[in-house]
Amino acid sequence: MYTKATDKLIKKAAIWLVAVIAVVFHIGYFGFHNRVTDVGYRPTQPVPFSHKLHAGDTTNGGLGIKCMYCHTTAEVSAHSPVPPTSTCMNCHIAIKTESPRLQLVRDSYEKNIPIEWRRVHKLPDYVNFDHSRHIRAMIDCSSCHGKVEEMGVVSQAKMLTMGWCLDCHRNPEQFIVPARPISGIFTGVKAAAYQPNAKAELGTPAPITEPSFGYVPTDVPKQEVAGIPMPKKPGHGPENCSACHY
Amino acid sequence: MEQQSTVKKKRFPLLRVLAGLALAVLLGLIFGGEIPWFSDTPPIEILNDMDDQFKVKPQVGSTFYADRMASRELVPNTFPRNGVLYPLDKSDFEFVDSIIGANPLQRTDFVLNRGQNRFETMCAPCHGNDMHGEGTVVKKGFQQPPSLLAENSRGLTDAHLFHIISAGQNLMPGYAEKLPVNDRWTIVQYIRSMQESKPVE
Repeated sequence: MYTKATDKLIKKAAIWLVAVIAVVFHIGYFGFHNRVTDVGYRPTQPVPFSHKLHAGDTTNGGLGIKCMYCHTTAEVSAHSPVPPTSTCMNCHIAIKTESPRLQLVRDSYEKNIPIEWRRVHKLPDYVNFDHSRHIRAMIDCSSCHGKVEEMGVVSQAKMLTMGWCLDCHRNPEQFIVPARPISGIFTGVKAAAYQPNAKAELGTPAPITEPSFGYVPTDVPKQEVAGIPMPKKPGHGPENCSACHY
Repeated sequence: MEQQSTVKKKRFPLLRVLAGLALAVLLGLIFGGEIPWFSDTPPIEILNDMDDQFKVKPQVGSTFYADRMASRELVPNTFPRNGVLYPLDKSDFEFVDSIIGANPLQRTDFVLNRGQNRFETMCAPCHGNDMHGEGTVVKKGFQQPPSLLAENSRGLTDAHLFHIISAGQNLMPGYAEKLPVNDRWTIVQYIRSMQESKPVE
């Protein structure tokens, strides 16, 4: 039927077609993974706020202000707040009062209108992430947000996919960064010197009396003082759907 | 002629190698995880079903209200259900001892550790970890606060310290919104324990 040349052409075309489909599929399938589309998202904020300056290393020109100075309610509420403008003005009422970069902050403070910061870390609305549970388990902010104190402009450092969450819920000892001094997380014990590569110390799992649905609870310490969140050693996180999707 | 053609065959296939390298780098980036570039555009979402629901979310703007603030301000003369209203103004020093009273917390290890944690988080930017008033913010030009280990600070009652933390003093803002009542008392306990263990300045 075919000449030899046509036959060769068809074979060649078939191989190319398969190769192109394979490459397109892989790029499409893996290239639109969150670690490609979401990691590295670095929006330009209305005020050029630098975490590197405010929270950065004090030996390197930073101020070393702890995360919880501004993001106060992270240990008691699900939402870790972006601080109100009044928090900025705690210091900037006396520091850099003429700076044009802070004009928006001063306007916001005087006119009582919030600054519209652009959100960096966003989970879908059907996921409920509770900051307080993780902070009380002494899990450092940088476990999920990367080393923000080294970022001039904040960018998303981790994938924030469900598989990424579950990786840590299943193998917490591999992924948890224990509380560092810069975060200001309360660990219940006297503040110790910072050990860069320390591993998280897991709590002992409590005996399971009911079907656990993948949830292995650790011992919860008794409340000592009303209103002060009790730190609790981290354990394996829950893996049931309704732990986060409720 | 013969030699020339063999030389031509052995020529280094630069273009193909480059194309292959580019593809390898691309695939390596996609599979490897670390993305070395940053982007100002919001993440691409292929299937964004219910990712953005029409509901009130904390600190997210809402088109429901005219001023686009989903978090509403308090109605005048009200305060949040679990909130505690601080009853005194900045200058009400004469009522402090009678209204606030003594520190309700015992000096346990837990209270002191919490006090240290809160002090180093909320107070140390100005007052410094060692309470001399030489925090990092002061070095950038903020007015230096008096040392908490000085005679003057030691003479204040617990209630007076609590009042200063809550309502502020001079340039210092009040921290009643940021620190719950018992956290403020742990800080008072921690300041007292530091004052007892350190020499007078």
